[in-house]
Amino acid sequence: MIPFELAEPKSLTEAIKLLAPDDAMVRPIAGGTALMLMMKAGVFHPTRLVSLGKIEKKYSGIAAGKDGLRIGAMTTLSALEQSLDMKKLAPVITRTLRTLSNVRVRNVATVGGALAHADPHMDLPPVLIALGASMSIAGPSGERELAVEDLFTGYYETVLQKNELIAEVRVPSQDGTRAAYMKVTTGSADDWPALGVAVALQSDGNAVKSARVVVSAATSKAMRLPGAEAALAGQRIDDKILARAGEAAANEADFIADVRGSVSYKRELLRVYIGRAVRAALESGAH
Amino acid sequence: MATITDQGTAKVGAQVGRSVPRLEGRDKVTGRAEYTHTMRLSGMLHVKLFRSTVAHGRIKSVDTSAAKKLPGVAHVVTIEDVRKVIPDPYYGPAFHDQPILADGKVRFVGEPVAAVLAADPHVAEQAAQLIVAEYEELPAVYDEVEALTSKVHVHDVLKPAGTFADLKHLKDAKGTNLALDYRLRRGDVDKAFASAAHVFEHEFRTQKVLHLSFEPHATIADYKDSGVTLHTASQGPSFVRTEIARLLGWPENKVRIKVPYLGSGYGSKLYIKLEALALALSMIARLPVKVALTMEEMFYQITKHPSTFRIKSGVDKDGKIIARKCEVYWNGGAYADIGPRVTQKSGLTASGPYDIDNVWIDSYALYTNMTPAGALRGFGVPQLVWAYESHTDMIARALKIDAVEFRRKNLLREGRPHPTGTVLKDAAIEKVLDRLVERINWKQPMDRGTGVVRRGRGLGIAIKAVISPTTSVAIVNVSADGSVALYCGTIDMGQGSDTAMAQMVGEVLNMPAESVRVVQRDTDVTPYDMGTLGSRSLFHMGHAVRRAAEDAQEKLKALACEVGEPEGSNIPIPALFVKKYGMQAGNVIGTGIYKPDYVPPAPGTGLSSNVTPFWMISGAGAEVEVDTETGHIKIAKLISVLDIGKSINPKIVETQISGAALMQLGFTMFEKMHLDGGQVTNASLADYKIPGFHDVPTAMENLTVDVTQSNGPFGAKGVGEVSTFCVSPAIANAIDDAVGVRLMELPLNPESVLRALRVKAGKPLGDE
Ligand SMILES: Cc1cc2nc3c(=O)[nH]c(=O)nc-3n(C[C@H](O)[C@H](O)[C@H](O)COP(=O)(O)OP(=O)(O)OC[C@H]3O[C@@H](n4cnc5c(N)ncnc54)[C@H](O)[C@@H]3O)c2cc1C
Repeated sequence: MIPFELAEPKSLTEAIKLLAPDDAMVRPIAGGTALMLMMKAGVFHPTRLVSLGKIEKKYSGIAAGKDGLRIGAMTTLSALEQSLDMKKLAPVITRTLRTLSNVRVRNVATVGGALAHADPHMDLPPVLIALGASMSIAGPSGERELAVEDLFTGYYETVLQKNELIAEVRVPSQDGTRAAYMKVTTGSADDWPALGVAVALQSDGNAVKSARVVVSAATSKAMRLPGAEAALAGQRIDDKILARAGEAAANEADFIADVRGSVSYKRELLRVYIGRAVRAALESGAH
Repeated sequence: MATITDQGTAKVGAQVGRSVPRLEGRDKVTGRAEYTHTMRLSGMLHVKLFRSTVAHGRIKSVDTSAAKKLPGVAHVVTIEDVRKVIPDPYYGPAFHDQPILADGKVRFVGEPVAAVLAADPHVAEQAAQLIVAEYEELPAVYDEVEALTSKVHVHDVLKPAGTFADLKHLKDAKGTNLALDYRLRRGDVDKAFASAAHVFEHEFRTQKVLHLSFEPHATIADYKDSGVTLHTASQGPSFVRTEIARLLGWPENKVRIKVPYLGSGYGSKLYIKLEALALALSMIARLPVKVALTMEEMFYQITKHPSTFRIKSGVDKDGKIIARKCEVYWNGGAYADIGPRVTQKSGLTASGPYDIDNVWIDSYALYTNMTPAGALRGFGVPQLVWAYESHTDMIARALKIDAVEFRRKNLLREGRPHPTGTVLKDAAIEKVLDRLVERINWKQPMDRGTGVVRRGRGLGIAIKAVISPTTSVAIVNVSADGSVALYCGTIDMGQGSDTAMAQMVGEVLNMPAESVRVVQRDTDVTPYDMGTLGSRSLFHMGHAVRRAAEDAQEKLKALACEVGEPEGSNIPIPALFVKKYGMQAGNVIGTGIYKPDYVPPAPGTGLSSNVTPFWMISGAGAEVEVDTETGHIKIAKLISVLDIGKSINPKIVETQISGAALMQLGFTMFEKMHLDGGQVTNASLADYKIPGFHDVPTAMENLTVDVTQSNGPFGAKGVGEVSTFCVSPAIANAIDDAVGVRLMELPLNPESVLRALRVKAGKPLGDE
């Protein structure tokens, strides 16, 4: 490893100042679980890492309010997993975190890192998109609000400027939402998924009023599937409706082939798992 | 180092057959056990390798100037530098075909081309990235079947090592990729096929996978003109010593090989691996030099053989197999390593545990432009069993005979000649099958599943001959206080051999196994052993250890007699030494050597009246659930039944059975090195997955049948690899039973299953 500078600012504002708008070799580091692997593999050689470990405490806490939850970007995945507020608001997140990597990673990995890393195989982004979560993004000229679904532009790519930081994630209240996330692996049970499907439904029993459907892992980024959402909205769920939604999803998603499966296979998986995810959401009970 | 624990409470007598806890377990779990990978010597330099990015090419230039200029770099070495210290820098167990660094040509992606030495490994790594090589790319060959007739030749001239008599005819052969062709000819297959009521022919393939030992390869060489010491993670220090002495032109007594505990091996650390390179670099640097691979680099060191097996059987009207023809192609990669041995030693059982009068086997070791292949927990037998037990099931299915009945009709029974001509003895094939049938409830109907989930079951049985002939030597040293140390070259790499060997010593000398110290492997101290491989050690070294202990016992008796003790005296050992030497002084040294009788296979026919000192027999049964919409397979039950003779340590036996079965489960279900133009595209643990706890079958049974190996030490024989043999076909047979599709290639991953289901349904998946 080539020597580099490690900065440990005491505030978010100071951290932003230490970042460089045009230098890809200067980066924020949170838990480091993703970044250290890239450094070990020799694909990233930093000149400076700006650690977020010592910024204000409020960025590593979870606050419940009337309009939902505010999660500081430095909150660890373990803290989120163990949060009773989170479990109450959206148990789908709690369940998702249990099979997200292992306890050693969750103890240090952060919510901000889990979003900014933008690896399409990750579990949290599709679920947060399905739940309509947004972020507060801090930069040199202040903060802006961004929906999680607008964060990703491609494989490991986001709209974040090099001197912008995710400060906070907001999950709105989920009254009456029924949600599920399906992580489909084709290698070992703990492999990265070949496909992720997250759905969040507003429904009355079997009758779906509206649906948010998100695909990940099989595509270059986590994204909503409007065709599948439309096929479900206003429908009473049966095998025919699910087949139609699966078909719409299979047609609209842009699959990529890799060691976990071909495009044709991933398309079949999505076709099937749309239905399974919707059924699982309906069975999960309202939030 | 074996620690002495619980000595006070340990039982005296009846050491064999007791589940003695692993002697080294405490040191390992408290982080005190020593491994080469974490070892440092003072003044030691670290090495990083610059590797080829092309699969086959002539090296036009290697520019090391920028790397040499980097502050902190001690040396940048290419083959020209190596040649100055080792004029003929080629090594290998079967062929001297592997250059210490690429020599004029590169033959696989990942082949080491240059080495950077620095006190700081990070500096070495950075410098290695500054090296630039230019190649004239040559056409490459990857497929083992194509390799047999390809115009592309991986080596211009073949260079058999001379160690093995049956390779001598290949000396100086040109224009071929064939590194060995083993043949077995028994009866007249053509005539038998002509008279058969049914003839079946199938082709099966296996993929490229690797060992992934927990501790990657590592060697430290410390060269001085007076002698060289290597600390190395090796399964065979005696062979390393021979090969290093040969490279140096030195007598073996100037070469010392030390092996601490191994973080597993599975065959990946056999014969010679990084040792020759480390030696050359230490000669150049005149300092201790450490070469230690990362997990990722292991994808470029050694793998299992991919294979293609064409198998043809003729069956008479009563369901008796009367002829079997086997053509096996082994994809050996760019350097032969021990591939020719795999080809021959597993090749001879390619027709399976069946009594067939007419057998024809051709087994080909082939060079290709990929990472070399060697032995992996089963020495090729899992690849063969995958094919012949799938094939056997397909025949039974086609003939509408129950799969167990069909096997029973054709089983090779005790006292009958195996196709090699060696008469079967102590091979409990039928008992294994009986137990399997009982444990999997074969005779009861099973729940076939509902909806999208379908259930099925399948089984397989197998036979293996042990690699022969091989030699082991052991020393038992009784000190004047009565304590005992065992010197044996078997490497404890996690399989628990130190514990088992100590139990045998304890059994003979009537003392707790826990009190026997097993001395760390060091060729200056521990005597010769052929290698810890092929489930041979418990049998061969076990005999040597038993004999050494018995020899010590005899010598103690003689000593008692000499000092005037009456016949049958119970004098404590310390008192005996005092009586002889007047104080606590002296030693009694017992020695034991074992080499089994053996008749080499006749050239041309492969026949031998004594091809193996013992047979390994195993069976596996699986119950699966198939998700017919996605192709996902859940293993509801995996049963292994083995004939391993008597268990020396039942707990260790059980964990060897479950461990080997789970390892093969990974090779069966999903493990695969994906290759693109010779480049491994998933060379990391992020993208190459091995089984984890969630992949363990819902129910697993790890069983042995109650038998004795009459010529084994204390009735025992080897176990380490035996439960790998049948896992793959048992699962494929179960899938066929569940959903009526037959997979002919490993792994049996969900996509392959779904594709087969869709073909069957007339709606094949696209090729995108
Ligand atoms: C063994 C292992 C298994 C894993 N398995 C899974 C799994 O099953 N499912 C899954 O979803 N994930 C998995 N992961 C990935 C894991 O979730 C991510 O590594 C983790 O979420 C990244 O968080 P971090 O805080 O460690 O980020 P870091 O590694 O510190 O940073 C990651 C990236 O985010 C940037 N960054 C960090 N924080 C911010 C911020 N606040 N604002 C802007 N940019 C920021 C960094 O600059 C860097 O580019 C696994 C990781 C490992 C090591």
